Order: sequence, then structure tokens, then C-alpha cells
Amino acid sequence: MSAKRENAQGSLAGLRVLDLTRVWAGPLATRIYGDYGANIIKISDPRVPLINPNGLNSKLNRNKKNIGLRLDKTKGRNIFLELTSVSDIIIENFRPRVMRNLNITYETLARINPHIIMCSMPGFGLEGPYSEYPAFGTTAEALAGIPGLIGYDSSLPISTGVAYGDPVSGLNAVGILLTALRHRNITGTGQFIDIALAASPACNLGEFFAANSSNGYKPTINGNKSEHYSPHGAYKTRGEDQWISISITNGKSWKAFTEIIDNTILNAEDYCVFENRKQDEKLIDAHISDWFASKDAEEVMFQLQNRGISAGVVSNNRQLLSDPHLNERDFFVDMNEPLFGVKRYDGQSIRGNFKNKSDWETAEDVGESSKEILMELLGYTSDDCETLEKEGTVLFR
Amino acid sequence: MDKSRQSLPLAGLKVIEVAQGVAGPHCGRILAAMGADVVKIEPPSGDWSRSIGPFLGEDENIESSATYQYNNSGKKSVLLDLSVPKGISTFTVLVSEADILIEDWDMSSRALNGIEKDRFTKLNSSLIEISLTPFGLSGPYSHFTSTPIIQLALGGYLYLTGLPGKEPLMLPGHQPDYLTGLNGNGAVQIALWERDQTGAGQFVEIAMMETLATLHQFTMEMETYEGFIRNRNGNLWQKESAFANYGITTIECVDGHICFGISTEDQWERLCMMIGKGEFLEDPQYATRSGRRSLATYLDSLLSEWVGERTRHEVMVEASEMWGLPTAPVLGISEVLEDAQFLHRGLFTEINHPISGKAHFPTFPFKTVDMIPDLSRAPLLGEHTSEVIHS
Repeated sequence: MSAKRENAQGSLAGLRVLDLTRVWAGPLATRIYGDYGANIIKISDPRVPLINPNGLNSKLNRNKKNIGLRLDKTKGRNIFLELTSVSDIIIENFRPRVMRNLNITYETLARINPHIIMCSMPGFGLEGPYSEYPAFGTTAEALAGIPGLIGYDSSLPISTGVAYGDPVSGLNAVGILLTALRHRNITGTGQFIDIALAASPACNLGEFFAANSSNGYKPTINGNKSEHYSPHGAYKTRGEDQWISISITNGKSWKAFTEIIDNTILNAEDYCVFENRKQDEKLIDAHISDWFASKDAEEVMFQLQNRGISAGVVSNNRQLLSDPHLNERDFFVDMNEPLFGVKRYDGQSIRGNFKNKSDWETAEDVGESSKEILMELLGYTSDDCETLEKEGTVLFR
Repeated sequence: MDKSRQSLPLAGLKVIEVAQGVAGPHCGRILAAMGADVVKIEPPSGDWSRSIGPFLGEDENIESSATYQYNNSGKKSVLLDLSVPKGISTFTVLVSEADILIEDWDMSSRALNGIEKDRFTKLNSSLIEISLTPFGLSGPYSHFTSTPIIQLALGGYLYLTGLPGKEPLMLPGHQPDYLTGLNGNGAVQIALWERDQTGAGQFVEIAMMETLATLHQFTMEMETYEGFIRNRNGNLWQKESAFANYGITTIECVDGHICFGISTEDQWERLCMMIGKGEFLEDPQYATRSGRRSLATYLDSLLSEWVGERTRHEVMVEASEMWGLPTAPVLGISEVLEDAQFLHRGLFTEINHPISGKAHFPTFPFKTVDMIPDLSRAPLLGEHTSEVIHS
């Protein structure tokens, strides 16, 4: 039965989302909806181009229709209200005052469409002492306690290289907005949802907070060292800045590892016990670092994995793109960008009934679908469109 | 079941969770908090996360694991040995009546236990089956064994964190699992949307490695659009490429470190004014983002001087309120629990457990008005076996 609709329109066909989001967290969430066939209307400021030669917005805004709309003009705001009346979800990630200044609040929108689900994704939430403060994915993760747990030692906290507040918030939005839609379908009313960028990463550290509040638990900050496994970390291999990660999880995998390395010191029977390895961790690390230094990361990964040892290449962007596993699984998607030619992007990690990849559309620049949205969805005439263009309310491309 | 739980949007849905550890259980935790009836199937020794630290209270035992308790809030625990025929047949009956199945059988365990991919969706055509594994159900890594550091490495996260040239550093705890659990919840909600209209379930496969690979802002685009390797830069941002920038940096204060997240041009201008260097705005050395980035050490020292003897909180208040610059203190675990903003949001809630006592757990990053998540304690091992099996 599940095959019937499979890969035709996608599971979310029929759902309409107004997307006011910028940068990363919001566009990531609506990209998942778009891949699943939802009708995403991205509303962009006509004064700011969306498609840049760095690829970021092209990657995040595929499968979305774009209208270039000045929300600060009365007619532009009215168009937004008309779009609200025919949509299911509105999602935005401005600082709180922006939507207030535009007088586009949930209360206003709910009067027009009581079924609407609206989501704001500010840095710290809409209320509270920091609510008006600006934020960035990296500052958000700092408040959540993430870099405080990363470092070579406790003297210098290190931020993640990935602005972690954003992706975690994006994934949270995907789930909770659809849950709210289900609630709406049952009760008949929409609602407002506030997601704080800074709160999301904290919810991925639940065990740390629980243990700290219960008995004062504080983890030691010590690079990649582990309280459960040893050896554990990344080791340099052959080539420039090439590394392999390993994680020896039990005596059996240690034994298999020493059979491969065949080093008289590491072969000692005592080291089959975790506590003994942990005690001599530095010495053991020195020996295995020497051994890995001349190896090819990918070759040695397969060699270790074939013996049941947890090991993985520390992939950089180039290695990720050519990764044999991702490629064999047809993970990537090649899209023909009108301005840049064929570009390879990450595909959809949720492998259910998403829209057939061959039907995916490249990101539109500001205003590419303005005409279609105004005329087909809202019933505007071409004369209306001309006026809106002349007044600078709507950008048509 | 009390009335407020009945009014939650997932009330009435039956979830069977056979996944262990963090990814699947974290997904199940969200479903339970939103009203679903989540039955957790545990082997006689318990979910393996019952045996890992950190622990709560004074004793280390299977009823005091912080990881288990956080991710299994509000579920029922049923002890079932799936390695014996009786266990499998009971399990099959439960799944045949369920709406959602959350499992983590990778290719090795599927082969070992003879579980074909379509076994349960064939049996129950309205079933939504969520498969959460490190590498998915096909491809050269599908038999790989892994822990979070390996998943971070192959998903492209590990390489990006740490000081240039030094060992790449992992994110704390079980981040690949949490991200995959969140993706799993998204998958459940998407599949439910379709099922509510058509009646049809679906099998959804999610791999941790692919989850991570889709959660990069511009890592792969630096290669595909510009031909650069994206490096790790400590607390700074990129040196090369269109994403080169200065202003994302971490500075020491008298009471710890503060993180700055200056990313736009107007923020850069206000930063210059704040540190009393308005002349930089006329200086060609600072005209481009890569130019500023190459002077990061000097700029950090100026920012450090401006910070002076101030505390993290003083810096955050002044930089945010007077200059509109994104900053935040780098907080330790106990500081996050006491942070004024998080307290105001009610981000943490106290839950009492009969064996390990009281502890504070995160609620959710979202605030909702009309559907309040229901969080209660995690079950004891097998606490609900007779209730579920014999009813």
C-alpha cells in the first residue's frame, strides 16, 4: 500500500508553507518540507539578492517558489495577509522586533486565518531577559553549554565548526510544526510556536544536566578521550591533514587491533582490560600514532572494520563528496543551476516518500514566481502586477 | 490516562520502540511527550543505555543511568527476549496492532535475526516503521561498527572542530544520535501527515551519517562552488572563500569566556565603533572580510582590551543592548541550569524517580501554548510487562 504514492508528489503534497526565514535554521526546515512535496512560498526582500556565487542559498532553497515582496509597504503587507489566508504554516527567524515593527504578529494573522500555525525562531526566545538580543548559531551553542564541553583541556573552550544552534533548531521545527498541524486537524485551531536557537543544543545534552543536577557530575575536558573506551580519538594518517578516528570498545576489538598492529608492547595480556589501557593511554597512543602515520586512512578503515573494530576516516568536504558509501547509496543530487551549471548537493536524509529527485527544482532567485503566486493563487490580474511592480512593492523576475 | 494527556495531538497512537541507546529512544521521548502511548521493548539485560554513565544519585545501576532516564521519559517498559520464538511471536502481535515502530536493526543484526526489511510493513500496511541506524541498510559501510566519534568523522563534522593542524575534536556526548532522533521524529510526523489522509503507512530509513551530511551550512559548497577544503579554525571562522569573516571569535573574561558572533557588515561596523576604532571603516586593510580575517589575532587583542576586567554577563549586556552585537557567555553545565533566560523559559523540569531521586531534565526547545508536552519519569526495567502483555 505504501508504494502507491511513493516518490510521486511526496508525503506533504497539499501542504502550503509561507517561508520568511533567512540564513540557515529556517531554510533547512522548509527544505525538508519542500523535498517532501509541500508547496513552499519563500518571501524575500526585493532589495537583497538570494542567489549568490557561494552556493549557500542555492543549496538550502531548492523546491521552493519565490516571491519578492516588500512587507514594509501597505500593499505588500496586504498580499502577505492574503497568502496567510490560504496557507497552513508561517515560519520566520527575524529578531523579535522585526515582525512587531511590520505589525505581522500571530494575533493579527490568526484573525485572518484561525487555522494558521506560526513559528518564530529567534535566538533566545520571544520572552525573557535576552529576548531582544541578537544571536548567531555559534553564540547560541555557547549559551547551551556545547563549547564548554569541547577542548584539548579545560583552559580553552572550542566552538563547533558548524554553528550548531542552527541545524538542531531546524530539525526541531520540522517535527513540532507538523505535530501542531495534527493538533489543528483534531481541534480546528492553529497556534503559535516559539523555538529558541539557544535552547535546542541544550536538549541534546540531557544526560549532562540531569547528572549535574543530581550529584554534581562534571565531565573532564580532555580532547577526544572517553570514560568508556580506550584508545579513543583521531590519529594522523598519510597525506596532508588526513586522520582516522578509532574507538576500541572492548577487549575483543582491542585483541583484533593488536593482531593487526603486531607491536610487542601493545601485545601485553594486561591491555585486554580497559582500566589498564586507560592507565597507559599516553604510551599506547604514542605507539598507535606511529603505526597510523604511514597508513592510508580509507584503506586502514576497511582493514580495521573487517575485523569488527570501530574506525572511520575523518572526512573533509572533498572526501565527503567522493565517499564510496554515500555515492553507492545515491545520497547526492546533481542539479543544473541556471547560473552555475551542474552542482552536487546533499540529498534527503529522511528516506521515505519524498518527491522524486528528478523532479526537484533548483532554488529560485527573488521574484521568480511572483507572477504565478499573485495570479494563480490570489487571482491578481496582469494589470495589478504591473502596478505592484511600478510601485516597487513586488519584484518580478 | 489523565485528561490533559488525552488532548495532546498524538494521543491514541500506539508506538512500539525496540530501538536502544539514544537515537531511537530520543525520537520516542518526543512522541510520548506529545501524547502517544510508547511501549519500549527491552531485552532481559535492559536497553544498553541503562549501563552507561553518567549516573544519577549515588549508585551506578540500571535504574540510575542519566542517558536512559532522559530519553525514555513517559514510556512503558516491557521485557521481551526477541532471541526466543515466544518473544518474537509476542512482539509480532504488538507490532501488528501498532501505528508506529521505531527500530535500530542494522544489516548485521537483521541478518543475525533473520528480519527482512518489509517484514512488518507487509504485516500491517498502515504501519509507519522508522529505521534508525549509523549507516543505513545498504552500501559498503552498512556492516560497520561505530560510536559517536566514528559517526562524526564520516559525517564530516569531526574534521571541522578543533585548532588548525591539531587533532579534530568531537562534539560532546551522543550528538549524532540526538540529531538522528530528531530527524526520526520529523519522519514520523511527515509519514503521519500522509497516513492521516491515505491510510497508508511507510518504511522510512534514516542513517546517522546521512543525517550529519545534510546538516552542514556550506561545507560541501566551499568545494563545489569555490574549490576550497573547509578547515577547522579553532574559535575563528574561515580564512579563505566567500565565507571568510572576522567576528566569530571567543575572548577571555575575568570569569570565563565569551563568544562573539559578528557576521554581517553592519555588525562589523558597530564592532569597530564599540572598540573605538571607527577609522577601520576607512582603512582598505579592513575593507574585505578575508582582509579582516587575516588580521584576526590583532583584532582579538583589541577586543580583549575592550573586554578588560568585565564579566561575561557585563560584556553580553553591553554588546547586545548598546551595540546590537550577537554575543553569549560560554557556559558550563551547572551554569546553563541556572541561566536567567533558560529559567525564564522553563527549559528544565524536575522529575523524581523512585530509585535515583530527583534530577533536572531539559524539556524542549519549543514553547507551545495549546499543547503542553507531558514529561514524566522513565520506567523501571520491565515495569509494564504484565500490563501490556496480558491486557
